[in-house]
Amino acid sequence: MSEKLYGISAEFDSPAAILRAAKKVRDAGYRRWDAFTPFPVHGMDQVMQLGNSLVGWVSLAMGAGAFASVVGLLWFTNAFDYPLIVGGKPMFSVPMTFVPSYIMLIMGGAIGALVGMLGLNQLPRLHHPLLDHKRFDLVSRDKFILVIGAQDEKFCATETRKLLEGIGGAHVALVEDHD
Amino acid sequence: MSHDTTHLPPPLDLSRWRKLPARLMVVGGILCAIGAALSYQRNDLHEFGFSWLLAFMFYYSLALGALFLVMVHHLTDAGWSVGIRRFCEHLATLLFPWLAILFLPIGLLGPKIYQWMTLDSATNNLVAAKLPVFTTAGFWAASALFFGIWWLLSSQLSRWSLKQDETGAADCTRKLRFYSGWGIVAYALTLTYSGVLWMNATSYQWFSCIYGVYFFSDCAWIGLATVYVIAAVLVRQRIIAPVMKRNYFYFLGVLLLGFTLFSAYTEFAQYFVVWNANMPEETFWYLIRERGNWWGLSLVLIFGHFFIPFFVLLPEKVKMNFKVIIPVCLWIGLMHALDLGFNIFPALHPYGYHFKWVWLPIGCLMFMGGLLAKVFLKKFNAHPPYPQRDPRLLEAMGVSQNTVRDLTEANAGGAR
Repeated sequence: MSEKLYGISAEFDSPAAILRAAKKVRDAGYRRWDAFTPFPVHGMDQVMQLGNSLVGWVSLAMGAGAFASVVGLLWFTNAFDYPLIVGGKPMFSVPMTFVPSYIMLIMGGAIGALVGMLGLNQLPRLHHPLLDHKRFDLVSRDKFILVIGAQDEKFCATETRKLLEGIGGAHVALVEDHD
Repeated sequence: MSHDTTHLPPPLDLSRWRKLPARLMVVGGILCAIGAALSYQRNDLHEFGFSWLLAFMFYYSLALGALFLVMVHHLTDAGWSVGIRRFCEHLATLLFPWLAILFLPIGLLGPKIYQWMTLDSATNNLVAAKLPVFTTAGFWAASALFFGIWWLLSSQLSRWSLKQDETGAADCTRKLRFYSGWGIVAYALTLTYSGVLWMNATSYQWFSCIYGVYFFSDCAWIGLATVYVIAAVLVRQRIIAPVMKRNYFYFLGVLLLGFTLFSAYTEFAQYFVVWNANMPEETFWYLIRERGNWWGLSLVLIFGHFFIPFFVLLPEKVKMNFKVIIPVCLWIGLMHALDLGFNIFPALHPYGYHFKWVWLPIGCLMFMGGLLAKVFLKKFNAHPPYPQRDPRLLEAMGVSQNTVRDLTEANAGGAR
C-alpha cells in the first residue's frame, strides 16, 4: 500500500469567494484543478476554461455508426444475401432503409451519450481519494471546496499550500491517495 | 448584464438602405409589368399567375410564421420573447389588408393557375369530390374566410398589445391570451386549408394528409429566420438591446434548428408514405418532380433545405454568432422560395422549369418585398419598438424578481 498525494484542498464560504479564488488559481498557471460546490456556480465554467463536453461527439459517432450498420444490414439481407421482392419495391432503396436506420440512430446516439458520459467521467468507480477527506462531505451542504491535483506540472506541496492560504482558503489540507 | 451594449459593435449606418424598399418596388414593379405583358402574349398569363402565386406564398408564409410566434408567446406566458413580440405583431398585421390585396390577382387569375377552375365537375370526378369548395364561388368564399380570421386575429393581437403599452392593465394580457387561445386552433385550420387550396390545388388531382403540417413547419421556419435577422439588426442599433439578451438569440437558434428538422421530417414523411403506398394517384406528383431540372431541385432541397442548415446550426455556440446565423437565415429564405417553387411550378412546367422566365418570380418577390417592407417600417416607426408594459418585461430585461418586489414594496410604502 503506497501512500501518494492526490492534491491539496481549500474551503471557501461563498460562490463569490471560490470564483475569485478560482480566477487566481487559473492565473497562477495551474491546469489540473477542480471546484466542488453545493450548486452550480455561474461563471465557473468560464473561469475554469471548460469547453463543450466531448460527449456530443461520442453520441454522434455511435449514432452514425448505428445508422450505417442498419443500412448495411438491410442491404446485405434484402439485396445481397437473399434478394427478396417486397411489394414491387426495388431490392435496395434509400427511403426503404430510412425508418429503421433512423430509429437505430436515435438509440445509438442515446447509448453514445450515456457511455460517453460515463467513460469521460471515468465511471463507474468504487472509490475516489476525495471521499477520504473528512471535510469533503460539506460540499453537499454549505462549503465550496477547491482542489489542486498533485499531478499538475506546477504542483509543489509547500508553494501550492501557500497560494491557497494566500487567496483566502480555510482548512487547507493534503488529500492522500490510498491506492 | 442585460444592458451590456458595450460588447456590441458600433451601430450600422442604415441610411443608404433607406431607399431600398422603394427601389425594390420600382424595379420589381417594372419586371412584373413586363412579365405580365410577355406572359399575356406568350402563354395566356399562366407564367405570370404562377410567379405571382410563388411570391405571394413566400410573404404569406412569413407573416403566418410571425403570427404563430406572437400567439405562442401569449400561450406559454414566455419572458424571453417580449423583445421580439412587437415587430412580430407588425409582420402578422401585414396579412390584412396588404397580403389580402396582393392575393386579389391570384383570385382573378384563378383559371390560369388552378386547372380545376376550367374543368366541369359533372365530368371530372376528382373535382366533383371536392365540391363545394372547388367552385369559383367556393374559392372566393374560403379565401375571404381565411383573410377574415387572420384580420381578426392579427389586428386584435396588435390592438390589445398597443393598448397594454398605454394602460398596462391586466385585462389587456387576458384579452391577448383569449385571442391566442382560440386563435391557435383557428390558425392551424386556416393555415392548412389555405396551403391546400392555394398551393396544393395547383395539382388538383393530388392529396396529402401531412401537407398542412409541412406548410406550417415552413411558415415557422421562414418566420423565425426573418425574426432572427430583424432582432439582430435592432439589437445592433441598440433599439431592442435592453430586452434582447444574448442567450435569447440562442433560443431563436434552437427553434430555427428544431424547425429545420421538423420541416425535413414532415417532407420526408410525405414522400415516404407516397413511396411506400405506391398508388398511381399519389405517386404522379413525385414522378413529375423527378423529371428534367426538377430532379436537380429535389437534390438541392434535400441538401440545402435540410442537411446544410442542420449541420451549421447544430453546434451550441454558433446559435448566438450573428456572422454565421444571418447568412444561414438568408440561405433559409432562398431555400424556402425554392421549396415553394418545387411545390407550385411543376404543375405548369411538368418537364422542368424554363429558366428564361426566372426573372419573373424574382421580380414579383422584389415588388412584394419592397411594398411589404415599406408597410412594415411605417408600422414599426409609428409604435414603441417593444412592449412597454408587458408583465414579463423586467424578466426579459434580466432584472431579478427580488429587486422588482423590493422596488414595488418601497413604492407602495412611499405612496402610503
